[in-house]
Amino acid sequence: MASASATPLSAAAPGRPRDPAVAATAGVLWALLGLFVLYPLAMLCARMLTDHGTFTTAGIVAILTDRHQIRAFWNSLLLAFLVGIAGTAVGFLFAFTAARGRLPRWVLTTIDASVLLPLVSPPFTTAIAMIFSFGPRGLVTYDLLGLKGITVYGLPSTLFAEAVTYFPIAYLTLRPILAAIDSNVEGMARSLGASRWRVFRTVTLPLTTPGLANAFLLLFAASLADFATPLILAGNQFPVLPTQAYLQITGLFDLRGGAALSFVLLVPALLVFLLQRYWVGRRFYVTVTGKGAGQAPFDSVAPGVRNALLAACALITLVIVYFYALLLYASVVVALGANHAFTLQHYRVIFTDGMKAIRDTLIIAAFAMPIGGLYGILLGYLVTKKVFFARRTMELVAMVDYALPGTIVGIAYLIAFNDPPIELTGTALIIVACYVFRYGPTGIRATVALLQQIDKSLEEASQGLGAASGTTFRRITLPLILPAFFAGLGVVFIRSMTAISATIFLVSINWTLITVKILENITELSLGPAAAFSVLVVAIVFLVVALIGRLLRVLRAPGAMPMTSLLGG
Amino acid sequence: MSRTLHRLARSARRAASALFVAAIAPLAAAPSFAAETVNAYSIWPENWARPMFEEFEKSTGIKVNFVRFSSGEALARVIAEKNNPRVDVLFGGPIETFAAGIGEGVFEPYKPPAFASLPARFRHADGQWTAIADDPLVFMTNDKFLKENNLKPPGSWSDLLAPPYKNMLQMADARTSGTAVTRIFSILEVNGRDEAKAFDYMKKLRPNVQLYTKSGGGGTLPVGLGQAGGGIFFIVDALDTKAKGYDVAISFPKEGIGTAAEGIALIKGAKNPELGKKLIDWATSPAMQGLYAKYRINFVPAHPDVMLEPGLGEVLKGAKLFPIDADYAGANRKRIVERWIAEVLNP
Repeated sequence: MASASATPLSAAAPGRPRDPAVAATAGVLWALLGLFVLYPLAMLCARMLTDHGTFTTAGIVAILTDRHQIRAFWNSLLLAFLVGIAGTAVGFLFAFTAARGRLPRWVLTTIDASVLLPLVSPPFTTAIAMIFSFGPRGLVTYDLLGLKGITVYGLPSTLFAEAVTYFPIAYLTLRPILAAIDSNVEGMARSLGASRWRVFRTVTLPLTTPGLANAFLLLFAASLADFATPLILAGNQFPVLPTQAYLQITGLFDLRGGAALSFVLLVPALLVFLLQRYWVGRRFYVTVTGKGAGQAPFDSVAPGVRNALLAACALITLVIVYFYALLLYASVVVALGANHAFTLQHYRVIFTDGMKAIRDTLIIAAFAMPIGGLYGILLGYLVTKKVFFARRTMELVAMVDYALPGTIVGIAYLIAFNDPPIELTGTALIIVACYVFRYGPTGIRATVALLQQIDKSLEEASQGLGAASGTTFRRITLPLILPAFFAGLGVVFIRSMTAISATIFLVSINWTLITVKILENITELSLGPAAAFSVLVVAIVFLVVALIGRLLRVLRAPGAMPMTSLLGG
Repeated sequence: MSRTLHRLARSARRAASALFVAAIAPLAAAPSFAAETVNAYSIWPENWARPMFEEFEKSTGIKVNFVRFSSGEALARVIAEKNNPRVDVLFGGPIETFAAGIGEGVFEPYKPPAFASLPARFRHADGQWTAIADDPLVFMTNDKFLKENNLKPPGSWSDLLAPPYKNMLQMADARTSGTAVTRIFSILEVNGRDEAKAFDYMKKLRPNVQLYTKSGGGGTLPVGLGQAGGGIFFIVDALDTKAKGYDVAISFPKEGIGTAAEGIALIKGAKNPELGKKLIDWATSPAMQGLYAKYRINFVPAHPDVMLEPGLGEVLKGAKLFPIDADYAGANRKRIVERWIAEVLNP
């Protein structure tokens, strides 16, 4: 909560002019952001605006005034907006049902597990399943419904695939926020005579607003940056900018034009971000207080509504499960669509030829995960709770790599870190850095959203009793934002296992990744190994996420919300 | 007791940070390899490149450390890494990719021993690249689709304009795929390089095209599965689809269709130029190209001394093929592709 830190109380802190720990941490974060976010982009700009050493904007102007590129720009915005709305709505539906539906444990676990599926596999696997099911000869459209001449390529299918792929982000963002709302507040409203609908509309929904805004922003940005899904599903009638930029670079070898197209995307991404900061920044919510409110059970949904909610969730879950059952099936038949004899050959292939990719991916993910989680809560905490130089700017800068299409981040890293003074290409470090700064922002957003609900007096009490800011952070704030830490860490791990757009430019002869192998297999027509790799990725991520859940349950720091179910444990 | 705990906590923290540093150190260092390792970007898919490189290691003792990228991605990387190249050799891929690289100055001219025995179209005059294979285009159609619509496999360019093909063809996007560029130049050739006529044909074909795919082989799986009725592909991709068990027909237009060479080149500033040259020597010679048949790679060998595999010869029998004129294509590629984007892709 940006405005909270400007309140008289926090500004006071008498006799302590500058907290050295805060200053040092901010300094280190600034140095890292400078090196891994600003420097590559500056190098990319330099490459974009020069032609053999002389300054020029001719190439950029030409590409930005092209009417097809302008159409692609509006298409991107439209798609991102619709994905943001649809994904947030579905995410909220799931989060609300899970938090308020009084569901039995096994139902919760089932929902959590299947909701995670789209998050834990490369996006183009959803796209491939879509084509196989809804194409001109799709399982659903042709075999089941007998439709002919169906076109699967275009806005509706791209929107559907992206919404299915990204709504879990909204779910992960909203679930802990809904869980953190003190149900006594809702209970009080109810006992004062408000109807359930009125409680929902005037208490629950406003308290969730920062979370909804965050979810929309994250989905908007994710869609804006996604190139894999439109590449496969958008077809030629609905071009979008990330795909155009990618094609400009890889197809026409026009690095400058591609970079220019991507920078255009930065404008709407930042606009949405600022709008959200301003809008959310004017509301102040305190629901976690030091008073230790007992979580009195509150029947916030009527039985009929509850069943309707459950049915909607079940339907969406079923679609997801169907997609992934298809994937599993493709991994154990000789050739999907041609020869459906059972075989384990594809798994043999990935554990021999593909072993290096599996090992490399796991090593890289193991490093990116804790670093990314820590980065997320540290930065989120600092920008929300502390006053220091260029605080707002830091939050903005930290979001840049998340908002930019991965293709551009990858190319920028490649240009910046290939030559001395900082030579990183060919190492694993460059991939780890890319994951941390590209996907760590999920943790930042989660931290900010959670901190906005924590009463400042908790920390002030600690500081008033003489604890240093480091101690206060560790003893008071950290347990409260632990869910955000694990959300951030989980997303970084998941993305380390599944992302491709940026890192396809950063893999090298020394370090390669499973996702690059999958794309490779798909282009080689080896659907079997691609499916087997995807199944493996899903299995590994589920295992790790379950382990984190178990760990959290064992640790269960005092004050931490029950969040095992969030991670599907 | 609390002091003991504190001390314990402190030493634990110290141990943890030491562990962290020890663990992260190997991430930062690029592994060093034995002297006898050559680094390459392969544009050929891994299942073809890997056996070739293993055979190379068997016969020379030199290990090939490689990673695979599509032609556009590989070239973009080579250009981005120009000042500090990471690989010694760019292996495989249509020569029009190599032609684009020459303009960026990323290759080191080198003429391998086989250079003298190759026909002119299989080598760059200055040795910027040398061909290792030839790859004709074909029409590939789904058997079930043909049967349902009472069609024969297309035997002419105009057959593809027939109504049943409406919204049922997939072929590559000229922005990313060498396959597409070869296809467009084929259409120009069969129309006597009359651009107006050629573009008129492409515009008529446009409503029948369901999707222009990013990679040259991107449409083979949809055609194999019947999601698309047919398309225009390189013969390697088409025969691979058939070999996977999909029921597809391969045919050639009677007016003729183009064929494109696949190349190899030495990277300028390569760290291991001598080893890179050895790989190029081997790849351009019958030593490698004689292995295509053994590994069922359906390229036509570029070296005149290598016999065409009989099965492949059977498929190609009677097909009217012509090479794409490198000078004409090189001089007009950019303009033609831009016109294609403006008039055919986004009318």
